Amino acid sequence: MVGRIKLAGLIAALLFIFLPSFTMAQDSSFGVSPAEVHIDNLPLGEAEEFELTIHNKNEIAHNFTIATFRPPEEERRKGRAEFPDNSWISFPFQEIEVAAKSEAGVTVTVAIPREQKWAGGDWEIWLGVTAESSDLLSVRLYVRLLVSTEPAVGIRPNAGLVAGIVVGIVLLGCGGYYYFRRKARPE
Amino acid sequence: MKAVISSIVVAIILALIFSLPVLAQESGTITITMRGANDISISLDETAWPLGNVTLNTDYYTSPAIEWCTLAVEGNCNVDTFIVGEDAEWIDNSSYKWTLSNSGGNGEHIYGLWFRISGDTTRGPLGDGYVPITKTQSEFWPYPNCSGTSLAPEDYKQFGLKLLTPTYFWGGRQMQTHITISAVMA
Repeated sequence: MVGRIKLAGLIAALLFIFLPSFTMAQDSSFGVSPAEVHIDNLPLGEAEEFELTIHNKNEIAHNFTIATFRPPEEERRKGRAEFPDNSWISFPFQEIEVAAKSEAGVTVTVAIPREQKWAGGDWEIWLGVTAESSDLLSVRLYVRLLVSTEPAVGIRPNAGLVAGIVVGIVLLGCGGYYYFRRKARPE
Repeated sequence: MKAVISSIVVAIILALIFSLPVLAQESGTITITMRGANDISISLDETAWPLGNVTLNTDYYTSPAIEWCTLAVEGNCNVDTFIVGEDAEWIDNSSYKWTLSNSGGNGEHIYGLWFRISGDTTRGPLGDGYVPITKTQSEFWPYPNCSGTSLAPEDYKQFGLKLLTPTYFWGGRQMQTHITISAVMA
């Protein structure tokens, strides 16, 4: 048999080892705040920032990775749709080292394109913070980010103006009619 | 002439009345609300499982089987928890893998991972409490149609793992995999 060894019975040939670590009991000792963030009435074409804080409760420094995650519908808040594009959310870095027994802030930026089709959106996306670990089990904490964009205000002023102009034209017409009727009336 | 001027003035006033309130909305304020003033946090008291040598097509259980690890809620908010696995890789060359089964079963170079929460006796496809861990994030606790609720601060759940080795694999290789347990504010 070339390059392959057929294993049968009790052959202790393969090591399936999850390497123990001295830090394994501390790997998950971290927290993230806040647990949920609402950004309401975000104008199209604008960006908004907020800060997440990672609390490293371990006795040693740890690396943490940050990434977005689109939760399935059943896990989202009621009435929230899937966030359209993960690239609208950015972090200054994808990975951060936090010293022992300390905390670090991560600025998260949410930027919505100017296109009108994103007006009136109510979306949800999760921001996952994971403690890097070589152990079998690791912990990830999600922050719920709920973003609502401003309503489609670009259309409504036009509707108001159109209505005003229509009323104005009607009134002008009436005024003109009575004016000319009075002028045409014999003295 | 007086009537014409009056009409124009009235028209302008009406146009402003209709449009100004709507135009004013363009300067609406953005509000950012942070919920959960403190942190979301969970802990695991066991994270490594040194298995040693394994053989083909065999189940391996953590010891104790279903109370091997304790997940505890340390933050100040209720949480829902999830679990996800991944392929096992040869530590010397990640191009050789055992693919994680999406059903808990096994095959050639395909292995299964399962978890069981203490107290869960009927959950899972076999009705024995064991639930497959797949590469798609799924509910750890609570889960659909269960009588339990989200975990509150200081709540905990004990659980264990089961590994089903492939029906065929290349020997003499040290494999490693990861399971991620996650939490989100309920």
